[in-house]
Amino acid sequence: MLKVALVGCGKIADSHASLITKIDGCELVGVCDREELMARQLYERFPVRRYFSDLEKLLSETKPDVVHVTTPPQTHFEIARRCLESGCHVFVEKPFTLYAEESQALINLANSKGLKLTAGHDDQFSPVARRLRSTVQSGYLGGPPVHMESYFCYEIGTTYARALLGDSRHWVRRLPGKLLQNIISHGIARVAEFMVGDSPEVMACGFVSPFLKSLGEAEICDELRVVIRDERETTAYFTFSSQMRPSMHQFCIYGPENGLLLNQDHETLIRLRGARFKSYLEKFVPPVLFARQYFAGSLANMAAFLRRDLHMRSGMGYLIESFYRSITEDAPVPIPYREILLTARIMDSIFEQINRRPVALQPDLEFPSGVLVHHNSQV
Amino acid sequence: MESDKYIVGHDDILLVTGATGFIGTKVVENLLEQGFRRIRCFVRASSDPSKVEALRAMGHDGAQVEVFQGNLLMREDCRVAVRGASIIFHLAVGGGSRSFPDAFMNSVVTTRNLLEAVASSKSLKRFVNISSFAVYSNREKSRRRLLDETCPVEKEAALRSDAYCFAKVGQDEIVKEYCEKFGIPFVMVRPGYVYGPGHDAITSRVGIDTFGIFLHLGGSNSVPFTYVDNCAEAIVLAGLQKDGVDGEVFNVVDDDLPSSRQFLRLYKKNVTHFSSLYLPHFVSYTLCFLWEKYSVWSNGQLEPTFNRRKWHAVWKKTYYSNEKLKTRLGWTPKVPTAEGFRRYFAACRTVEERHA
Ligand SMILES: NC(=O)c1ccc[n+]([C@@H]2O[C@H](COP(=O)([O-])OP(=O)(O)OC[C@H]3O[C@@H](n4cnc5c(N)ncnc54)[C@H](OP(=O)(O)O)[C@@H]3O)[C@@H](O)[C@H]2O)c1
Repeated sequence: MLKVALVGCGKIADSHASLITKIDGCELVGVCDREELMARQLYERFPVRRYFSDLEKLLSETKPDVVHVTTPPQTHFEIARRCLESGCHVFVEKPFTLYAEESQALINLANSKGLKLTAGHDDQFSPVARRLRSTVQSGYLGGPPVHMESYFCYEIGTTYARALLGDSRHWVRRLPGKLLQNIISHGIARVAEFMVGDSPEVMACGFVSPFLKSLGEAEICDELRVVIRDERETTAYFTFSSQMRPSMHQFCIYGPENGLLLNQDHETLIRLRGARFKSYLEKFVPPVLFARQYFAGSLANMAAFLRRDLHMRSGMGYLIESFYRSITEDAPVPIPYREILLTARIMDSIFEQINRRPVALQPDLEFPSGVLVHHNSQV
Repeated sequence: MESDKYIVGHDDILLVTGATGFIGTKVVENLLEQGFRRIRCFVRASSDPSKVEALRAMGHDGAQVEVFQGNLLMREDCRVAVRGASIIFHLAVGGGSRSFPDAFMNSVVTTRNLLEAVASSKSLKRFVNISSFAVYSNREKSRRRLLDETCPVEKEAALRSDAYCFAKVGQDEIVKEYCEKFGIPFVMVRPGYVYGPGHDAITSRVGIDTFGIFLHLGGSNSVPFTYVDNCAEAIVLAGLQKDGVDGEVFNVVDDDLPSSRQFLRLYKKNVTHFSSLYLPHFVSYTLCFLWEKYSVWSNGQLEPTFNRRKWHAVWKKTYYSNEKLKTRLGWTPKVPTAEGFRRYFAACRTVEERHA
């Protein structure tokens, strides 16, 4: 029986607890939160042996095999390090750590102790994301990826915006990437998974949306556009937006022959054929082929629902189970460490750039307005 | 009200948490009307600035409305806010969240912080905890249909799958625990459904529109309405009254409660027309039962949002009493239900027009 513990009893901990308690062969031996009442409320709602307000006590008295760290991001590194030092495998919620250096240090420590680590990039394990992975692995792209587009959006409601903006002590403000740090790792990790090289060049442009500005915010970026290019010339665009609609969670990957389009919200995977039809057929046939794929996607989702196999958090469930299997069967970890590190590095670079003050263009460097304005309806 | 019946003088400090809220604003207004001159309002830095301004503007010749900015999640803020307070009207609540931890944190942890802060207070005469009808299980009652202060509270609140209920039950428990432990005099006020301008949603006790059409579930049930001004007055009285109040629970509902059907008819006539489908009680009960079973069978593919506990608490045929409130606190609903509805419908119409 795998003994599991959970540190940090906020919102996301509920999802972890409910999934862990459904997995055969494991037991939630303890939950811990610095605020004892929070630990208690989780303990009262789930089958958990004990609750604690002190990490050291949790570790020494329950001796867990695995610890899930679901605390605010700025505490991930210290808590994960402590858990590794006391001999536990660790599942760290996203963002894995605040800086790539910390991620590296945790991985080194885990390796030196023969322990395993994973990050809460659960979107990559949803059924549709798994299908995307296996389609890519089957060679459908026709070679290494050429380009990717990852959209990860988040609607900021007025209530959340007020809570964040009005509170100068809000913990999100103290993160190097502020709001973005807590949200974008899912979208970046998708790119990192398929990047070929390890040291990509990152160009980021972040800004405060007119919506947040209208509420008096000048500091928190809630719009981000990123271009990434690695040493092997694989490129990617990443978009985070709080304002664009639809508020998408979408990933596109293009190879030399074909592409794939994943929509996380609709749970659909669409094959983008590289070959073209002759003449006007290109205008008639592909829309029908797309319609057929979308229709099949909808039917497949309905069938999964009827089979009781369309759970909102199934990606996280799959990731947790795979992680436990990697421990009990000494199999490879579900997320390669290279990917965790690359995600952290890309994020570091983004935050480093958006925290720099933007440099205003010199008047003589400005583009002639015609170039930007009259783009292409005549061309 | 006669002031010699009060436990505090007009110049004592009265702290109101949740003062920017729907009911809190009315509590402040009512206290000022009673002639209290030192009202301290606990607001958050993130509170809607127009509401904070409105509170400030309520102060008038000699009556001071002090705005204290903080967060009940911060122990230090609580310590400073309660300094010198004689009564605390605790209305703050983490509203609207479906997440259990969020709701719990903003109801139970906040309340604990406040109680810890007053544990050693010499000035505090009463802690008024605002609870809710949501805490009642509405099962195993001695008088089958009547819900009053003697009725049992939900014991396993998590099983109702309602974060608000879970948090409010937890809040009541912590109030009892701390008040007994530290000898803090307290009173619990449990309003039914508080309505009035500023709260335009139709209560789920009448029905729900989750599935694209409005399902009318209340039928002939009476709905435990209380107009916001009447509710605020009950809260104020529970805080001020000298005798026979400490440790007591008071339910708040108005007189002349309409049935769900009557209310819906009035709403459609006075605000906006929409289609609704009536589901008799045995149908809603069966659906709740099936939903609950499906949730278990499907391993949580659907959350057990609709379940039998919820049905008992919200849709079962029930009558309500305000007897205790009237006899012990001398409360009467100043705004009759007909007038309350008139004001409420007018406000709802304005909202509808704005949306249109
Ligand atoms: N409305 C009803 O029908 C009803 C029925 C029964 C019982 N009740 C109870 O009556 C009380 C008041 O309800 P309401 O409808 O007036 O609620 P509301 O309009 O949602 O107001 C809630 C208030 O609590 C404040 N608050 C929340 N978290 C806080 C925190 N961490 N620190 C400081 N302040 C915090 C909010 O401040 P911000 O302005 O900063 O958000 C707001 O002023 C609640 O206890 C509720 O459970 C209400």
